[in-house]
Amino acid sequence: MTAISLDPGTDAPPAFLPDRRRLRLLRLRRTVVQTAVVLLVVGAVVLVILALQSSFAARGVDFSFGFLDQPAGFQISEGVVPVLDGGVALEPFSASMTNAQAFVLGVINTLKMAVLAIVLATALGAAIGVGRLSTNWLIRQVCFHIVEFMRNTPLLIQLTFWYTVVVLGLPSLKGAVALPGGVYISRQGTWLPWFHLDTAAPAWVVIAALAGGAGLLAALIVKRLRGKALVFGAAGLLVLALAGGLLTLDMPELGKFNAKGGLKISAEFIALLLAITLNSAAYIGEIVRGAIESLPKGQWEAAAALGFSRRHTLGDVVLPQVFRVVLPSFGNQYIGLAKNTSLGIAVGYPDLFNVFGTVANQTGRTLESIGIVMVIYLLISLGISWIINRFNRRLGRKEKRS
Amino acid sequence: MTSLAANPAWHWARRNLFLKPFDTVLSLVLIPLLLWLAWSFLAWVVGQAQWQVVLGSIKVLMIGVFPDAALWRAKTAGALLLLLLGFAFAAAKPATPNRCGRNAVGVLATAGIVSAIFGGMAWVLPGAVGGLGAWVLASRSDWLAANVGRACGLTVLLVFAVISPVSSTYWGGLLLSVLLTLVTGLLTIPLGILLAFGRQSEVASIRILCTGYIEMIRAVPLILVVYLIWIAVPLLWPSSNVSDVVRGMIGFVVFYSAYAAEYVRSGLQAVPNGQIEAAKALGYGATDIKRLVVLPQAMRVAIPGLVGNTLDIFNYAPLVFIIGLTDFLRAGQMILADPANSGKALEVYVFLFAAYYAIGGVITYLARRIEDRVSRKAEK
Repeated sequence: MTAISLDPGTDAPPAFLPDRRRLRLLRLRRTVVQTAVVLLVVGAVVLVILALQSSFAARGVDFSFGFLDQPAGFQISEGVVPVLDGGVALEPFSASMTNAQAFVLGVINTLKMAVLAIVLATALGAAIGVGRLSTNWLIRQVCFHIVEFMRNTPLLIQLTFWYTVVVLGLPSLKGAVALPGGVYISRQGTWLPWFHLDTAAPAWVVIAALAGGAGLLAALIVKRLRGKALVFGAAGLLVLALAGGLLTLDMPELGKFNAKGGLKISAEFIALLLAITLNSAAYIGEIVRGAIESLPKGQWEAAAALGFSRRHTLGDVVLPQVFRVVLPSFGNQYIGLAKNTSLGIAVGYPDLFNVFGTVANQTGRTLESIGIVMVIYLLISLGISWIINRFNRRLGRKEKRS
Repeated sequence: MTSLAANPAWHWARRNLFLKPFDTVLSLVLIPLLLWLAWSFLAWVVGQAQWQVVLGSIKVLMIGVFPDAALWRAKTAGALLLLLLGFAFAAAKPATPNRCGRNAVGVLATAGIVSAIFGGMAWVLPGAVGGLGAWVLASRSDWLAANVGRACGLTVLLVFAVISPVSSTYWGGLLLSVLLTLVTGLLTIPLGILLAFGRQSEVASIRILCTGYIEMIRAVPLILVVYLIWIAVPLLWPSSNVSDVVRGMIGFVVFYSAYAAEYVRSGLQAVPNGQIEAAKALGYGATDIKRLVVLPQAMRVAIPGLVGNTLDIFNYAPLVFIIGLTDFLRAGQMILADPANSGKALEVYVFLFAAYYAIGGVITYLARRIEDRVSRKAEK
């Protein structure tokens, strides 16, 4: 009987390591695949360009962005565009402005809607998320069913419902609902009292107001001033501006066919804002609920042992921790929300996609316009995720420090 | 007094409605408000609502302008879709003897009510019987349970075989929404798998290509992608005559495969590295490792997300209005555009909401059940 030697390191290399030749073959294969993919992509791009060229030639047009400088020739009633005319002024869009300015207006309207909806949806979503864990059974049930309903029905039907049934179901301007404080709600839109900037105010008021504003902004950045102090500061500034004549309160007045003065919020804006805010709030509420539930139970118990009430436990112990966990998910929701503003075309809100549709129809430059719009949406999405990432990093750093 | 405190209902109300002063105030405000809302809605549904507007145009809502001569095709497709639902339930919540009877009675009663209320919807009854049969058979027979995926695929093929002799320009209503969801939901899974593997590829060009595609698509709105594809297909291939419906489907597939890829990728990341190393040690090739070891485990994690993706597809299907198609929602809006139906918007919208909510609820339920089953299997 021969002894089986268990002694390694006699001669041959270990069998489980791939030998050199195999590694070289693998590398070769990778290079071949790499080259093939690159060639394929280049080929596809060339084919697409050739096909587009022949299509464009068949229609007798060329691919150019010259249409951006031409007058748009159509009206958009909503929003203002910055106009460089010696100084910078904000003017409503008129038919003599260029297509490029129409796109700028679309971007402004999209961003206006997105920012407002993000703020409102976050607040409402946090409330719904907390409500789903309320000690009151009724609140829990109501919040649960709101969330289920919003998530299981299409956003577009919610939007058209708010527009055709609710907003267009309001009384017309003649019989507008008048709320105390000069607010008028009607089918044609809603009017709110608003401030009117009067540049002819005395110089000392302007200087004082600017200084006060800069001071508040600085306080906000260095975070010395918080909560109540900030609110009082802002209120003081407002009183100063009003008393000095820099700002005048502009009250809306109902006419026969239109209302004058104040701030007009169009019916389309309200419908889109309602639909997007409520829909996103449901998703945000689920994120908040999940995050609260994933928090260790010990946090609640420790707060209770220290004599915290449930409200203070939520506000001072639970939500600050939850905020850290949910931020990346919020970022995804915000990007989805910004993209959902493109549904404005269904109710006639002139957001970026709607303006694109009109420009493409008027000029026939569909492909060029799609390119521009895609890049803008890409930038908006990237911008949101950049901001969220910055916040996230800052919060992460704070946590490490403590 | 003691009898009241011992009463379980009182005990429950005490704990859940009147625990603290704040809760008591809320309950006292909410209970009458909710009762009033429920009462006025019910009174409206039973008394004031003129349901004739929905009942009279149920055909347009369900199938759009489908030619009358081929109506049997649409009805057969509808029944086959219920069969498909039966198979899906067998995979999500298998029939057990004590569950069987109760659920069968409920389903048949619902189907009976639907076919009694809406004219021309008698196909729901045989469809429901077929669906129940599929559910029970696929849960009880081991052979069918093992092949439930193939059965689903075969049913989908049958649906399209029945419906495709009718030109897709006539497809519309709820049928179009469902067909669009089915095609997109099924095609995005293989594409998503390819994109997810591509994103992790060792070949840099594939990795960059797949990552770029996924991230770019996820940053732009669906409505833009659908419109772009609708415009681009005839530009790139002028001699082709691809119908609007097919172009819409391509747009949806292009958009949602990027999302499917992210669900698959989350599954791929959940597979422990040791599995791959073990397979390597056993001498598996790279393709076999992906196909036989990684993918089955990854899909187990990814499938609930992919079912949720299907709900998203169904919920965003109404966006095909941008390329001129008449889906379920658009059909309802067309009915309302008829001056004879002015002032009946609420009736149509309540019906549409109810139908969307029912279908969305079923998909959500399926996703949750599958998630439960998968996590229980993983624990075993």
